[in-house]
Amino acid sequence: MKLIKAIVRPNRVDEVKDALSEVGIPGMTVSEVRGHGRQRGHPTIYRGSEYEISLLPKVEIEVVLPDDLVDDAIDAIMNAARTGEIGDGRVFVIPIEQGRIIRTGERDTV
Amino acid sequence: MTQLAESPPATATDSLPDILRAARDELQADTLAARGGSESLARYSGQIDRIVRQIYRTAREETDAPVAVVAVGGYGRRQLCLHSDVDLLFLFGRPIRAADERFLKAMLHPLWDLRFDVGHHVREVADLREADTDNPEYLVALTDARHLDGDAGLFEKLGEVCLGAKAAWGDAMLAALRDLTEQRHAQFNRTLYHLEPDVKSAPGGLRDVSAVRMIRRLRRPAVRRLYIPIGRVDEAEDFLLRIRSIVHLKRNRNLNVLTHDLQDAAAGLFGSPTDKLERQAEALMSTYFHHARIVNRALGRSLRALDGGSREAAVAVTDGLVRRDNEISFVDATRASLQPHAWLRAFDAALDEDCAVSEQVLTCIYRHGDRYAPERFFPSTDQLDVLRRVMRPRPGLYARLSQMHDCGLIGRMFPEFHKVYCRVIRDSYHKYTVDEHTLQTLRNLESLCSPATRSRRRFANLLAETPDTDLLALALLFHDVGKWTNRNHAEEGVRMALGALRRIGMPEEDIATIEFLIRHHLRMSTAAFRRDTADPNVVKQFAQLVGTEQRLKLLCLLTLVDVSAVGPDVMTPWKEELLWRFYVDAYNRLTLGYGDDVIDTAAASLAELHASRPADVAPGELEAFLDGLPERYLRLVDAPQVYEHVRLSRDLQAPDVHYTLEQKHSAWELAIVSGNQPGLFSKVCGVLSYFGMDILRGQAMTNRQGLAVDVFEFTDGERFFELNPEARPMFTELLADIVAGRKDIDRILLPKQRGLKRRAPARVRPVVHFDNAYSERFSILEVVAQDAWGLLYRISRVISQHGCDIEFVLISTGTDRAIDVFHLTRSGAKLAAGEAAALQESLESLLKS
Repeated sequence: MKLIKAIVRPNRVDEVKDALSEVGIPGMTVSEVRGHGRQRGHPTIYRGSEYEISLLPKVEIEVVLPDDLVDDAIDAIMNAARTGEIGDGRVFVIPIEQGRIIRTGERDTV
Repeated sequence: MTQLAESPPATATDSLPDILRAARDELQADTLAARGGSESLARYSGQIDRIVRQIYRTAREETDAPVAVVAVGGYGRRQLCLHSDVDLLFLFGRPIRAADERFLKAMLHPLWDLRFDVGHHVREVADLREADTDNPEYLVALTDARHLDGDAGLFEKLGEVCLGAKAAWGDAMLAALRDLTEQRHAQFNRTLYHLEPDVKSAPGGLRDVSAVRMIRRLRRPAVRRLYIPIGRVDEAEDFLLRIRSIVHLKRNRNLNVLTHDLQDAAAGLFGSPTDKLERQAEALMSTYFHHARIVNRALGRSLRALDGGSREAAVAVTDGLVRRDNEISFVDATRASLQPHAWLRAFDAALDEDCAVSEQVLTCIYRHGDRYAPERFFPSTDQLDVLRRVMRPRPGLYARLSQMHDCGLIGRMFPEFHKVYCRVIRDSYHKYTVDEHTLQTLRNLESLCSPATRSRRRFANLLAETPDTDLLALALLFHDVGKWTNRNHAEEGVRMALGALRRIGMPEEDIATIEFLIRHHLRMSTAAFRRDTADPNVVKQFAQLVGTEQRLKLLCLLTLVDVSAVGPDVMTPWKEELLWRFYVDAYNRLTLGYGDDVIDTAAASLAELHASRPADVAPGELEAFLDGLPERYLRLVDAPQVYEHVRLSRDLQAPDVHYTLEQKHSAWELAIVSGNQPGLFSKVCGVLSYFGMDILRGQAMTNRQGLAVDVFEFTDGERFFELNPEARPMFTELLADIVAGRKDIDRILLPKQRGLKRRAPARVRPVVHFDNAYSERFSILEVVAQDAWGLLYRISRVISQHGCDIEFVLISTGTDRAIDVFHLTRSGAKLAAGEAAALQESLESLLKS
């Protein structure tokens, strides 16, 4: 069982959601986050002054899924989120030791 | 509420569980038929009376003490629901003894056995000497005290302290009511517009109905003349009770929150079987809010009346209006009732004086509003001016608009707005009814006058530098009126707003701004939150739609306050950042990038301009004039202005200038067409400064033939043009002399400049920024500096001294700063790096001095 954590552009969320559904992953957690990667944000000039070379709005999508779906899910996210420009985001895969369903107490097998 | 006759005494054959079962069956049947309102609950309460009396007859044998059994609270009002608490007061005529304890057990145990939740109070007659102020709930519950059985004389004594106009505890009871109401409303964030409201405790709910009745019943002198439409409050109460009965039945507990599921259930019981459930639920909630609003309004008026009473002398504030006790009132309400066009002035005065509008004014409008057609509120442009003042964002706007809405004034002036009165749109994200959502947008706009966060301060700055805030507020007022129907609400809103705005005589150019904002009120949020804003085409298309940075600012502010008003957590800091970044990208496109988008004289978009072309303007002449001007020009001026500029361009011999000077509302507009002479822009700025004019906005553009079109908007603070008949010839003469080189503007301005040396230090840090990449054809110079006399003249003179040609200029002035964007060339090309650096240095040195 793995956790996939993807940081994507806000306007690509719907595409990523649809792509994940197509490979058979219905559940996910989506959060509004802010951050920057190597490009250290996107300096913007407003009225002659550079303002806030700071954190860009991004969306974080978290998916827990069985090992055999990981590659399909990564491909789906990459294809749906890519524009080719700087700031397309990242995908991380993290192993999960255990999960529980709170309502029933059962072990989560995804 | 219908007063029923006392219920018949229980007969020996009726067992208590049988009576209760029969009573509950009847109430359940009524509830399922959506008839579990006042009458049904009174019948049910009557059956509970029978039970209590029957128990009393047996319990009475335990003691010889005089005792009265009294129903209080909701039971006293005969409003017991299926799972309501049964509140009882046992009032003893002497100190309580052991036998009396046995009596109490004999009363309470059978009730508990019947599964009642009993709230009981035990008091001795000596306790009536002083009000029990530590127990406010008890004091309030006594308002509805009703004698059930036992000693009638004791009940009379109780009545003397808590019932009617002469009640000894009246003031203490009202103080308790006020505290409890305040605490309860605070729990609900002081709004009645909850999607899942608590029909008992929320503002506008049943507890508020009881509070209105309590204030009426205790009839303190301050409220004796208060007008409350009690028939409508009765109707509201009956509706709320019918809903509450359904909630109790379906939840099978004493819970009062009307959840979405229960709204569907209640709507199914209320609605016509042919309607869709969703529509039924929307209709039910509209009815709910309608009634809750009536109750809320009645309670608000009652509480304000309690506070009132003339303590301060009235101070005249304006014609027909006085300020008294921190409220604006009519001097003569009878006379005012015949002058609907003057009503709006009361709200304007209240905003000016930072106080409320009195009950007297609200009642007058409420009672007489329906006598007048919408036109009667705007017989001349004076009333339009008052409306525009009222709508300007400032502290108190939301509170006054809420008063205007509650007394029906907004709906009377604008029946278009009344169509969304209490309108419910059921979706997963809206929290309020459409009318309240609208008022919340204006509340958010008002809150930008004192922004709470750094993020909001950026938007607050936009508001502060926007002159058309009244148009923005009016656009907000109408932006969702189209939601009365399920069609495209933006287009429907435009249609309705146009009708309203033309009716009140709004100038067409202002209507155009409002129309634009309503039609496109969803475009910016869609683009900023859902499109790829890193794509230059997305920004370009949006910038083309918006056209000018003034409209961009208005649309950006509208988007911010509109999305924020959907619900408290909808506009997250994350979304604010997205919106701001998109605003900046679009702003840069409009101010830095417009020079590259030149009018295509062969384009179909000019067809309209050709179609309405007057006979004296030839097609070739028009095209030659437009050739090389940026597209922006056509977004700034309307067709008649274009033709006027074409005429001005005729027969120009250097160094002639042709111009028009017109007064437009509070500002003046100077349009100049001339051959492109070096330093012309600087000279015109100098002449305007010489006459003390304050330049608000300006554009300067050059066409392919080198013809310069400069348009300045300025204010004449000293009313020079207005007061001096010879002012225009003086202005014309000096302008002509300066442009022709017969007089030297620098020399003329020198004495005035010397007088300005001892100025206060600048609050705005000056910025001089060059961008040689954004535009393909021009070097772009942005200057931000504290606004000061002659600033533009001095900046443009330095530019000219450096041998640069000013091709295009955008001037805008905020509250304290000037923001000027120059598109420059030198010998027909962009500036070289060294030239730009030298100019930058000169300008920085100028601005520092």
